[in-house]
Amino acid sequence: MTQRLLGWTALAALALALPWIMYPVLATDIVTWGLFAAAFDILLGYTGLLSFGQAAYFGGGAYAAGLLAQRAGVPFPLNALAAGVIAGAMALPLMGLAIRRRGIYFAMITLAFAEMVFYVTNEWRSLTGGENGVQGIPRVAPGGLSLASPVVYYYTALPLAVLGLLLCWRIVRSPLGRVLLAVRENEVRTEMLGYPVTRYKLIAAVLSCAISGFAGGLWVINHGFVALDAVHWSTSGLVLTMVLLGGIGTRLGPLAGAALVLYLRDFLSTWTDAWGVVTGVIFVAVILIFRRGIVGTLEPLIVRGPRAGRAPAEPTLSPQGDPELSS
Amino acid sequence: MIKWAALLCAALLVLGIAGYPAAGQGTVRLTHGKLVLAVINDQSGVYADISGKWGVDAVRMAVEDFQKKYPGAIPGAIDVLSADHQNKPDVGASKAAEFYDRDNADMVIDVPTSSVGIAIAHVAAQKHRLFFAVGAATTALSNEDCNKYTFHYGYDTYMLANGTAIAVVKQGSTQWYIVYPNYAFGQDMNAKFSAAVQHAGGKVLLSDPTPFPNPTEDFSTFLIKARTLRPRLQVLGAMQAGQDLVNLIKQYNEFGLRQQGVKLAIGLLFLSDINSLTPAAIQGTVFTTAWYWNMDKDTRAWADRFYARTKIRPTFPDAGDYDGAWQYLEAVRRAGTDDSDKVVAQLEGYKFNDFFARHALIRKQDHVLVHDAYLAEVKAPNDVKEPYDFAKIDTTIPAAQAFQPLSEVHCNMAP
Amino acid sequence: METILVVFNGLINGAFYALLSLGLAVIFGMLRVVNFMHGALYMLGAFGAFLLGTVFGVSFWWALIVSPIAVAIVGFVLERTLLRRLYDLDVLYNLLLTFGLTLFIQDAMRLRFGIQGVPYPAPPELHGVVAVGFMLFPTYRFFVLVFSVMICLGVWWLLEHTRIGMVIRASTENATLTRALGVDVDRWIPLVFAFGVALAGLAGVLAAPMYAVSPLMGGDLIITTFAIVVIGGMGSILGSVVTAFGVGALSALASVYYPAAANLLVFVIMAVVLLLRPAGLFGTAEGG
Repeated sequence: MTQRLLGWTALAALALALPWIMYPVLATDIVTWGLFAAAFDILLGYTGLLSFGQAAYFGGGAYAAGLLAQRAGVPFPLNALAAGVIAGAMALPLMGLAIRRRGIYFAMITLAFAEMVFYVTNEWRSLTGGENGVQGIPRVAPGGLSLASPVVYYYTALPLAVLGLLLCWRIVRSPLGRVLLAVRENEVRTEMLGYPVTRYKLIAAVLSCAISGFAGGLWVINHGFVALDAVHWSTSGLVLTMVLLGGIGTRLGPLAGAALVLYLRDFLSTWTDAWGVVTGVIFVAVILIFRRGIVGTLEPLIVRGPRAGRAPAEPTLSPQGDPELSS
Repeated sequence: MIKWAALLCAALLVLGIAGYPAAGQGTVRLTHGKLVLAVINDQSGVYADISGKWGVDAVRMAVEDFQKKYPGAIPGAIDVLSADHQNKPDVGASKAAEFYDRDNADMVIDVPTSSVGIAIAHVAAQKHRLFFAVGAATTALSNEDCNKYTFHYGYDTYMLANGTAIAVVKQGSTQWYIVYPNYAFGQDMNAKFSAAVQHAGGKVLLSDPTPFPNPTEDFSTFLIKARTLRPRLQVLGAMQAGQDLVNLIKQYNEFGLRQQGVKLAIGLLFLSDINSLTPAAIQGTVFTTAWYWNMDKDTRAWADRFYARTKIRPTFPDAGDYDGAWQYLEAVRRAGTDDSDKVVAQLEGYKFNDFFARHALIRKQDHVLVHDAYLAEVKAPNDVKEPYDFAKIDTTIPAAQAFQPLSEVHCNMAP
Repeated sequence: METILVVFNGLINGAFYALLSLGLAVIFGMLRVVNFMHGALYMLGAFGAFLLGTVFGVSFWWALIVSPIAVAIVGFVLERTLLRRLYDLDVLYNLLLTFGLTLFIQDAMRLRFGIQGVPYPAPPELHGVVAVGFMLFPTYRFFVLVFSVMICLGVWWLLEHTRIGMVIRASTENATLTRALGVDVDRWIPLVFAFGVALAGLAGVLAAPMYAVSPLMGGDLIITTFAIVVIGGMGSILGSVVTAFGVGALSALASVYYPAAANLLVFVIMAVVLLLRPAGLFGTAEGG
């Protein structure tokens, strides 16, 4: 018990000290991407659904919050919250269609939808600015508060991101989350027990996408612009990379993964022009050494106890979604 | 040894045209005890060969030359930082903010890729520090996204379109088919070229976006389409950049369009592109450039010094990076301070003439470096007498005509 | 005439898709791994041809054989040393591993050869153009189409009539069941992987005379190619090939009539197919 308390205190201290350890814009990026990754893990780690189209919701949220701030003067954090609502509204029909398929087919449908969002964003230039993006987004706070300083913005965004994280953790530990875990382990059996599996999956997907959109909103106000790469498939790939490196289905894994990937990217940009070689080697090394991701591997070693070892996720790429059932 | 000394003297003489006689010592007040110049560009992606780490070398060279010419004029070190933006706008913009905030960078320079350039222009405005956009082509930097601290230094889409389109139409090729990559740069080039072609009395029969991103790297469908256009097509206007351009031209030759009387007009062509394509593939092609290394003995002298350092011949963004850094340092010296507002005041309306920019004026209204541009032509392989000497200059486009006229500029400098 | 020519030309793009998706499909079938480095190995195939030509003076025809074998060896080594270690984990980890390797391979080649790439001429026998109606059509492109159709037929024969083909087909449809029937699937895995990437290398050699040989070539191919595998039906080799040619032709038509959407087309088709026919156009497996 004390050990856990100690751990959380250390984590809180780290979160508070972060903008003094690294450039605050980067610190805010880590927190917002960490939230995005945690939201993504609701689907991947706890429901066994690999979405390869989360860029549509993160990027869509970023565009929504940016445009609301720029064109309608909606203050922070209302614009970020609105971004979450909009992303959730986008997810309702799209995910509603996508969850009718499982495994790799689900992944590819979400990718297809995300590519459509990319295409529309690129073509709808009067709204989105095309590839140049929406630029010069103001950081307006209610009551004339100034958020111009990146440090101030970090401490404003941090509690909001933490709330988002708590929501993610609450979802996966709620009765809903228990059912989702059951779905991940054996969908047919869960359905036979009388749970409306499809509805549960849809709720999980919409919540995950809404939180992703909210994270996108926090992220866009941090940078003051959003460009087309936010809705490119590589953004979906990046968040998957973060969760895999950190550890699927762990509470802190997505945060650790986001911190590793973003810090590395930032550090390498001034350190070498061979960032691809270095990043590639580090990715391969981390996977081979840690195997279940950094947190997924270290947590059971550090925290001993009944809660420590979570079952690893089942192979999610199998076309049938559940290999046992297909045989 | 003597040769190098002579070259150095020549170069210093050239640079001397721009400046004043050597200044007094230690007259410049520095806010943080030193000057910091930060180069942000693509060092590992599609645009890495255009400036990349050579652009960083060019800026270092400018700093060293400046210190040689005005020893002690800056009472402190002049640091050069650099970052690879990896073509990711968020990486580029937050690196710029970090350089300004943490490393007290006085100016950021280069930044190819329009979206990154525009993002950094906004950061510069917010931090009240200078930004010299050299590598980015978009006219947005001097129009809707202009600001007091951003200078567009070297070239833009207007200059490229205006120069090439008018020249090609004047040569008698009036029927155009434009293919452009479907992202901001390509869309901008298409609009500017179409306007310039029409203005010059030509006609754009059709313009088509090519896929972005383009996984197959194939453009042949558009080449087939080009042959079906009526009235008969005379010019294929290619607005692609980097890899896309190389592939399009390779396929243009493969399909023998040249033999069938379809000329090629290229929107943006860098020395590195010609090197990769080989002159044989595009000989005779006309293109507009802001500068060419073997244009005359002044450019040649600088290019030789650059070559001694890097073992490559400079592209025009390399030279622009050098010159932007140089003119910034000159402005600091004249202002007697590194205070951004005072340096901006020194730059605005400043007229000069140096190895890079001829008849140059830094326009006060939109912060565009207005200078002579050049219509160049790719040499036939037999005329290439030394490596990298791929082009010859046909005509000079006078500074007054090369850039967007003020009447068309929409720039509001007020914060 | 124009439309026929456009479709015909689209089939040449389809030929590349076919070779790539064929390799990707057999690898996915056996390993359940989306081989993210497929595009990078295609690039290595092209560079292989270039290096063989410039360093050893090897002709295009020999490169067509040697370079894919070299790529196969690279694939074999990577599978034995790296991919193999992760088979007991979620297959996503191998996706990430191959993604890391892609970054490494692309960037290492960039450091060595620069980003702009190197030229590679078509073999002298296939230089020149053939007049087709109002167009001149490059001879080399005819060769690419014919050759890759032959390769596809060869692979199909291999899969239908040899033991390894049987193992691949069986484990593509159901690996667990195949294992249960006493087939030592694992023994075949490295060979199948090497074979799959050799097809990518072969596509790379074929592409070298048409496209710029550069470290970034093939960078965006993996997504489209995998989409083709999915549309064709995951268990169906024939489906991949037919879909590849179909997508090539349709994209070409889209380029003519509505260019902005040419890229999107494959994804629209994929979404529609998956929603209406979950197992893909030619798939037989019962999808979810």
